[in-house]
Amino acid sequence: MLFFSYFKDLVGREVTVELKNDLAIRGTLHSVDQYLNIKLENSRVVDQDKYPHMTGEQDAGNDLGLRLSVRNCFIRGSVVRYVQLPPEGVDTELLHDATRREARGG
Amino acid sequence: MSGGGEKGLTTTKTPADFLKSIRGRPVVVKLNSGVDYRGILACLDGYMNIAMEQTEEYVNGQLKNKYGDAFIRGNNVLYISTSKRTLADGA
Amino acid sequence: MASEEESAVKEPLDLIRLSLDERIYVKLRSDRELRGKLHAYDQHLNMILGDVEEIITTVEIDDETYEEIVRTTKRTVPYLFVRGDGVILVSPPLRTA
Repeated sequence: MLFFSYFKDLVGREVTVELKNDLAIRGTLHSVDQYLNIKLENSRVVDQDKYPHMTGEQDAGNDLGLRLSVRNCFIRGSVVRYVQLPPEGVDTELLHDATRREARGG
Repeated sequence: MSGGGEKGLTTTKTPADFLKSIRGRPVVVKLNSGVDYRGILACLDGYMNIAMEQTEEYVNGQLKNKYGDAFIRGNNVLYISTSKRTLADGA
Repeated sequence: MASEEESAVKEPLDLIRLSLDERIYVKLRSDRELRGKLHAYDQHLNMILGDVEEIITTVEIDDETYEEIVRTTKRTVPYLFVRGDGVILVSPPLRTA
C-alpha cells in the first residue's frame, strides 16, 4: 500500500519509467493501481535511436508523426525495473514515517 | 535453539524444523544463479528471505565479495545447507 | 511485538528496517548494483533510494582471442524507485556498535 499511495500522490508529475527490457519511457504520470501498473501521458521513448520502431513515421522536419505509438501508454507493473522520481516529488521525512508505519503493520 | 540440547539435526523431522535448527550456524546458501553465499545464518522467514552475517560471496568457486550483514530475497534461493566450517558447534 | 527491542534482528526484514536513512548496497538481477540512501521500502523489497549510483557490468568475448572483456557502466540518479522483484541481495552499511 505504501508505494501505491506514494505514486497516487505523484500523479501529474514527470517520471521516467525504466523497463526490464531496457526501454526507458518518460512521461506524465496519469494514474497508478494497486499492482503499480502505470499509465503515462505525453510519453516518449528516452533513447529513441535504440528503438526506432517505437517512434512512428519520421518525415523530416515534421513533429506530428513522431512518437505516435507511445504518446499514451499503459505499463504493466511487473515489467518495471525502476522509476526515476522528480526530486520535488520526494519528501524523505514523510517516506520514513510511512515506511515505519508499514513495517509495524505488516 | 529450541531444537533440544543435542545437535538438533539428528532429531529433525520436517523442513521447517531443519530451518529452525540451523539459526546461528555457518551455512552455504546457493542461489538459482549458481552464486554461493557462505556465512552465519542470523534468521529467515517463510518466504526464505535470509539474514546472514560475515557473508562471503562465491562466483564459480571464487571469492568475489564480503558483506558484514546481508539480506537475501527468498525467491532467489535454491538451497540452504549447513557448512562444514563449524564454529563451536556443540557449545 | 517489536516494541521491547527496536534494534533486534528477529526476522530478515529487520535488517532492512534498521537501514532506513542509511546508504545501502543492493545487488539486482541482470548484473546491476546500486548504492544509495534508503528512504522507503515494503515487504516486497520495493524501495525508494536517494543519491543513487548504479553500476552495470557487462561481459563481452573478444572475437579473436576469446578473452572475456568486463565492462562497467556507472550513472547517478537523484531519486529512484526500485521494483522489489529484481532484488537479489541487500547489504546495510557496516555498523560499528
